[in-house]
Amino acid sequence: MTKQEVLGRKPIRILEKIRENLEKLNEKMEIMIELQKRGKKDFQPLPDAPLDVMTLLSMPDHLRKTAMTVCRLGRATADEVAQQTHRARAVESGYLNQLVIMGHLKKERVGRKAYFYVEKENQG
Amino acid sequence: MGNIIAVHSYKGGTGKTHISVNLAASFVKHGKKVCLMDLDFRAPSLATFFGHEKVECWLNDYLNGTCKIDKALIDISHRINDRGELFVVLANPSTEAIREMSAKDRKWEMRALGRLLALRNSLLNDKGFDYLIFDTSPGLQYSSINAIVSADLVIVAATFDRSDIEGTKRMLHELYDLFEKKTEIVMNRVLYDVSSKSGKGNVERKIKDMYQTPVLGMIPCFCDVARAEGAIIFVQEKPEHLFSKIVDKMANKIETSNSV
Repeated sequence: MTKQEVLGRKPIRILEKIRENLEKLNEKMEIMIELQKRGKKDFQPLPDAPLDVMTLLSMPDHLRKTAMTVCRLGRATADEVAQQTHRARAVESGYLNQLVIMGHLKKERVGRKAYFYVEKENQG
Repeated sequence: MGNIIAVHSYKGGTGKTHISVNLAASFVKHGKKVCLMDLDFRAPSLATFFGHEKVECWLNDYLNGTCKIDKALIDISHRINDRGELFVVLANPSTEAIREMSAKDRKWEMRALGRLLALRNSLLNDKGFDYLIFDTSPGLQYSSINAIVSADLVIVAATFDRSDIEGTKRMLHELYDLFEKKTEIVMNRVLYDVSSKSGKGNVERKIKDMYQTPVLGMIPCFCDVARAEGAIIFVQEKPEHLFSKIVDKMANKIETSNSV
């Protein structure tokens, strides 16, 4: 790779880093909003709540659709869920984080990507 | 890729198992590879229907995580003698197993859902099955809802019994719709003059208006079916009987439907 090519890639890397940080910021804000809704000041994750069919049935429609997609895919990013539900990635990201806060899903960061899944131990 | 069909109903005794077995046999007649699974853990019936002397592994064991699905598959293609292949996975009919299954907790049911969802890969993708048919228990049982969530198509076996109609309507709106499932009705034991086309049309319209759901088929009340006491596969042994022809038509409709 020539010096020019290396320099040419630098702005792209900076933009990618900005996007990554914005996404993290967005997630944190979503958590804060959710905590505010629940009237809690500190982040205290709820105990693991099994994502069984009766729980799915009692969920609001928008969250059920997201939760069912993760159940079907096993492990997925907000992007992958959005492709299945035909909703915006940012919308799915919000719903997925809500499900994490509710204790139904787990979240793991691998590099730039955040994966959502149903906790194996949670499955009994 | 193949499809998963759950046969469900609000009330018991609406003919789910009879429809499941004969629908499976019809698909096999059309050259398909089919697996029929007994998800009625509270009142298993396929074990009695197909015999259960040499069962290495039950569906209960697969859902418990103590055996692989391959071990639970029983090849009964030789009993059908048609172009396709028929396998069954049986539920354990022993009282102890029924008691054990009815005592499972939410976490177990969640894991069971994961295992049912995994069948799409292990049986449809890897083993090339065309159809998995889940014969479920009636009403809002955990195992039945797990089956519904895992399915591509839900066939609701209904009758004109008043309480069945009300319950089925509720399930359509409060269960299948919530999971966004493609649902079709099979009206069983319908009383109409089979020789009258207008009579049949009127009944079909009545069912559609009642449920606002597509009708996959209407099965008249046949004394021959009752007389057989659930001991034979009608589609195979009496292919010329109207019951067999109706089930065959239902299988054709499912096969030609692109969305399933």
